[in-house]
This record gives sequence, C-alpha cells and structure tokens, in this order.
Amino acid sequence: MKLPKTLLGAIAVGVAVQATTSCGSKKNDPTPKEEQAGKTTQQGGTKTPINCPACGLG
Amino acid sequence: MSSRPPILSALACNLDADILAAALPLLEAGQVEAIEWSFDTLYWAEQVPDWFLALLQAYGSQQRLLGHGVYFSLLSGRWTSEQQQWLQQLRQLAARFSFAHITEHFGFFTGQNFHHGAPLPIPYSASTLRLGRDRLGRIAEACRCPVGLENLAFAYSLEEVKRHGEFLNQLVEPVNGFIILDLHNLYCQLHNFEADYDELIKLYPLDRVREIHISGGSWENSALEPTRRIRRDTHDEAVPDEVFDLLARTLPKCPHLKYVVLEQLGNALKTEDSRAQFGRDFGRMAALVQQHPAPLLGRPERSFQPQWSSQPGAAAQDSRLHEQQQQLSGILETALSFEEVQQRLRASALANTDWAIEHWAPHMLETARSIAQKWKK
Repeated sequence: MKLPKTLLGAIAVGVAVQATTSCGSKKNDPTPKEEQAGKTTQQGGTKTPINCPACGLG
Repeated sequence: MSSRPPILSALACNLDADILAAALPLLEAGQVEAIEWSFDTLYWAEQVPDWFLALLQAYGSQQRLLGHGVYFSLLSGRWTSEQQQWLQQLRQLAARFSFAHITEHFGFFTGQNFHHGAPLPIPYSASTLRLGRDRLGRIAEACRCPVGLENLAFAYSLEEVKRHGEFLNQLVEPVNGFIILDLHNLYCQLHNFEADYDELIKLYPLDRVREIHISGGSWENSALEPTRRIRRDTHDEAVPDEVFDLLARTLPKCPHLKYVVLEQLGNALKTEDSRAQFGRDFGRMAALVQQHPAPLLGRPERSFQPQWSSQPGAAAQDSRLHEQQQQLSGILETALSFEEVQQRLRASALANTDWAIEHWAPHMLETARSIAQKWKK
C-alpha cells in the first residue's frame, strides 16, 4: 500500500531522532517491561508512552 | 464465480524505533499491505508522535489496520478493574481508528500486576469456556468489529496441544469470531512435543483462520534433559526455513485467510544485518502469499462480523480458577528449583483437578517456570 511521501518523511525523521523508545538489550533475551519515569498513576500527571514487548513472551 | 480479495502481506508495527527503522524501506516501497498494532502495549498519552498516529490512520482508512491486544488476560478467573479499563480504552480507540479486526491471546497472565507476566494456558473446561466466551463478547461489544483469538505457543502436554484448536473454535463461535494461526507457535509445539504437522493441522478450525502469523524464536537447553532443546516463542530471530515451509503448506488450507503478518521484536532489529534479514523475510513471506491467490470458490467471503449481547450484565468469574491461577503463578515465579515446583504443585489447589498437573511434561513445566521468572515484576 502506498503511503504519502510526507508521511514517509515524517516517519524517517521520527525514527532518526529516536522519538520513540524501544525495549531490549541482549539478543535472545527480551527484557522485561520497564516503567519509565513519569508514567501516570493514580496521582495523575503526564503519561509517558511505554513500549512493552508485544507478544514474543513465550 | 468470482475470486475473493487477495491475501494481504502485513507487518506487526508498533511505536518502536527499531521496528520502524526495519520497516521503513518496506513502507517506502509500498510493500506493506496492512499493519498490525498492539494497541495496549502503549499507555495512551498525548506524547505519541503525530506521524505514528498518521500511520495508523492511513492504514485504518483503507481497512488495513489490525488491532492485536496482548495484556487483556482473557482467561483470568477474576474480572479486574484493569480489564474494564482495557475495554474502555479499546472502545475509544475503535471510535478513533478503523480497525479491520481486533484480536487477543489465549491464556491468562502470570504476574501479580496487570501488564506483567506472560500468558500461560488454562484447563479446557465448561467453566473456562464460559469465561472466555464472556470476555470475547465484551471485546466484540467494545470494538464493534470482527474479533479473533491467537493460538498459544506454550502447552503443558501433547493432549493439550491436540485439543487447543477445537477449544479455540468453541471460544470464538458465539461472537462469530476467527482464529489467528501463529505458525511459529505451532512450530514450537511440533518440536516440543514431537508432533506431526499433518495430524495436528487437521485439529484446527481452518475455516476460521483469518490471519496467520510468522516469526522467529530461540532455543533453550533443558536442564532436566541435557539432550533436549526447547523451542521458545521469543520473536527475536529471523523466521526459520521450517516456518516458511509451514506457511507454504498451510496457505492452501485456509479458505477465509485475509492477512499474513510478520512479527519481530525491536530489540532484535538493532543492527543493519538484522534489519536486512527482516526485509528478506518479509519479501519471502509476500512471495509465498502471492503464489497462493485467493481461491475461486462458490461460497461467499466470510466476514466474521461480530455478534454480542446488547446487555452483557456482570462479568463471568470463577473464584476457584482465580485462586488456582494465583497459586500457579506464585509457585512458578518463586520456586528455586524444578523439584520445588513439583512439590508445591502437588500440595496446591491444582492437584487432582482439570489442570491435570500430574500429566504435565516435565520439560514444559521447567519452561513454564523459566517464562514466569523472566517476566515477573
């Protein structure tokens, strides 16, 4: 499926500046989920996106 | 007779720099025909980049956005506020994005808190069937689109492996649901239980398979049986040749297949070599898909449009199952040795029940302990 060039460009920039977080370090050892600072709790405040491993837990 | 729409080649695509970096050349080439997003691995926030939202919208506008839940814990015995919140978030997301369908995983999550642990199986019983159907009905009501369930890689026994497909069929039937057939999960079972593909695939409701997953995994040596290796569904390596072979053999068997999805974790896509291999895996997958065009059949396309209760009422619960799951999770997460696991299980509420712990393969119980301890908080 073709995507607009502007969108592709924005994705490329976003990936390049590491606007996302990614899990993991060691090969063959998906790291457990981590809680980033600023994750919302019952106290409220700003939520921070947390990127947990999707599937691959087995 | 007319042909059905072609099968779409898709990527599991989450807000992960490494996955997106690996996927970008494929996106730029226009090769990614759909994306699957694990919407609940992201705590929804105003900090999600606009471009990622735009990517989701672009595929959603073409009915090519697949939603794949991970943490709902479909078969937990107790209904929790986190599950209620999960449904509410799904309802909001489904209003915002046009999901082609929503799926979740079979099993219950170990771990003492929501969003921790890993999925493990449950007994196939009237009670767990009732629970699972209740949960799937609530998912259908929240998203108002087709709902499906993915087969689990892990199993305790060959008997359980053989019954898995039929139990999935019974779970999804009331919501007119479908199955994700994860072929790497099947590969794990074929290896770990020395099962035969031709015998096992017949036990799956192949007319309900709307989506296929392929991925890689890893090998773990068994401490109990030094000559045995356990196949683990860790999504951190390239797709093995054996899984591509399973794909070639399975494609013609699924008359209502619509999507084939390549999965890999971002932590295994940090190098140029691994990203190049990811691209090759996608190309190989897409080539196999294109070799098996949608068959010419007299039957209409199966849409799996959902059915649900307009007044679901109180969530089904099973307090005894919950207690057993809590005990199992606690034992697996804290036992210091395999022997301790066995001893504590024999003294637990799971002994002499539908759980059939007495028939669990030792090398798989060992693996369950490994899984639970890796993912506990």
